[in-house]
Amino acid sequence: MNESPPVLSLDRVSRRLSGRAIVEEIDLSLDRGEVLGLLGVNGAGKSTTLRMVSGLLAPTSGSVRLGGRDLYGHPEIAQTEIGYLAEDPPLYGELSVEEYLRFCARLHGLSRTAIGPAVERAIERCELGEMRRRLTSLLSKGFRQRVGLAQAIIHEPALIVLDEPASGLDPIQALRLRELIRTLADAHAVILSTHVLSDVLACCDRVAILHRGRLRHTAILSELDAGAALRVRVERPVGSQDWTAIAAIAEARALDAQHWRIVLKEGVPAGELARAINERGFGLLELRTDGNALEDIFVRIAGETGAEAAA
Amino acid sequence: MNAIRLIAGNDLKRRFAQPFAWILLALTCALLAWQFLVALDAYLRILPKLDAVPNAQGATDLIAIPLLRSLSGLLMLIAPLATMQSLAGERRAHTLPLLLSAGVGNLRIVVGKFLGAFGLVALVVILAVLMPLSLEFGSSLDLGRLAAATLGLLLYAASLTAIGIACSAWTASPALAAAAALILGSLLAMLDMGARFQGVDNALINWLSLSTHLEPFLFGLVASVDIVYFLLLTTLALLLASRRLDTLRTRG
Repeated sequence: MNESPPVLSLDRVSRRLSGRAIVEEIDLSLDRGEVLGLLGVNGAGKSTTLRMVSGLLAPTSGSVRLGGRDLYGHPEIAQTEIGYLAEDPPLYGELSVEEYLRFCARLHGLSRTAIGPAVERAIERCELGEMRRRLTSLLSKGFRQRVGLAQAIIHEPALIVLDEPASGLDPIQALRLRELIRTLADAHAVILSTHVLSDVLACCDRVAILHRGRLRHTAILSELDAGAALRVRVERPVGSQDWTAIAAIAEARALDAQHWRIVLKEGVPAGELARAINERGFGLLELRTDGNALEDIFVRIAGETGAEAAA
Repeated sequence: MNAIRLIAGNDLKRRFAQPFAWILLALTCALLAWQFLVALDAYLRILPKLDAVPNAQGATDLIAIPLLRSLSGLLMLIAPLATMQSLAGERRAHTLPLLLSAGVGNLRIVVGKFLGAFGLVALVVILAVLMPLSLEFGSSLDLGRLAAATLGLLLYAASLTAIGIACSAWTASPALAAAAALILGSLLAMLDMGARFQGVDNALINWLSLSTHLEPFLFGLVASVDIVYFLLLTTLALLLASRRLDTLRTRG
């Protein structure tokens, strides 16, 4: 079988700055149709990783490959294959939104005939129609971010790199941006960095947690949800032995007299638990996912000290 | 080539969308126009006496060349002001990643930025040359000498602009870039001043000086050695700027 290489692959990528390891031996790959969230606290190495992915900063060792080709051996592929939005959108305040996007389209090598339709498409996707003639220096933070995103997608690159795309946005703007990122994944591979869990949960397929420059955990979010704990509220006071007597349950922990955190055995559906609770007459009042699986992992990793992280 | 043209065009467009370029042009033209009119007035006063002198100096010697020599001094300041924002300003405004991540290549970015800044500086030179050229309507100018002086000034301006671009690549502070370019340009122009005071005018230090290579053009002499000097200096400065962008990629 002739499998095409992933859109992006990082092979043992490391970066040292001023003698200090900022990123160490990261392995990652990303395919078209996927959104990968790089999650980490400030200083975890997310932005440095994204700068290496976008061709801005050469790795000290390891390789960054785009469609199987080494990015730093063939830097020209960045022109057509990468769209990059830095944390601060790189806008020229003297240009209007439309002028700026036309410049970006030409910078990314689009032909004269393709520029007009590409600018229109980007303006439409990022909902910039009413702002198209306004100077970028006069835009609000939310619109600046959208213009930044529009320049990153204007040339329909295979890989879209977004560094903290929702930073500084109000909740409504952040929600709209997440929706847009989700739609981008239909035709592109998207990698974004954030330290906000809800950003990852809302728009990513996979998550990679970085801490102190190392890749500490990767997971597919849907699988993470499947193994997540459930939160149960029951009417009748029950003990942990009552829960462990149910074959479907792997772990039960009391949160208070009525609330329990339950982890099911692998492959057991939540409906099975509901049925068992009813059969035993516990009086089921509430059953929902705890939703803390990613948070638990993130908090545990982020709380590690330097010595623990290195171990 | 497309990317160079695009970056240069965008740079020029952005310059003229701000008041700075217009003010710089207006002040320079006002200063030179005043100097031009004073020189013209003096010339007209002594003209009757000059008519009696055989092989007397004309308007080219007494008005045009002094004006252009004065412009060469002003360019020492104009070039750093025109280039200080080129790369340092982009770094400060966090817009440089747009160019660096577009796969354009560092040398193309540098050459594009150079041409953008040189467009403004060259406009100053052309506007200044138009002033004495207007005398052609009422008198007879040495057009060959004026053309040589214009070529020399453009090459000289290109070198100063390239030095400004190199300084602008070196720091994220536009003010520091301008100061460094002004000092470097002045140093290169006055490099052989001490040697000339000592009567040395044919040593390496004389050859390295900017003014040594500008003067022949102002006398109407176009020598390939002077052209090569300015082109070498310009190329070297642009390569250093490109090297600096390489370093930003490799060392962060």
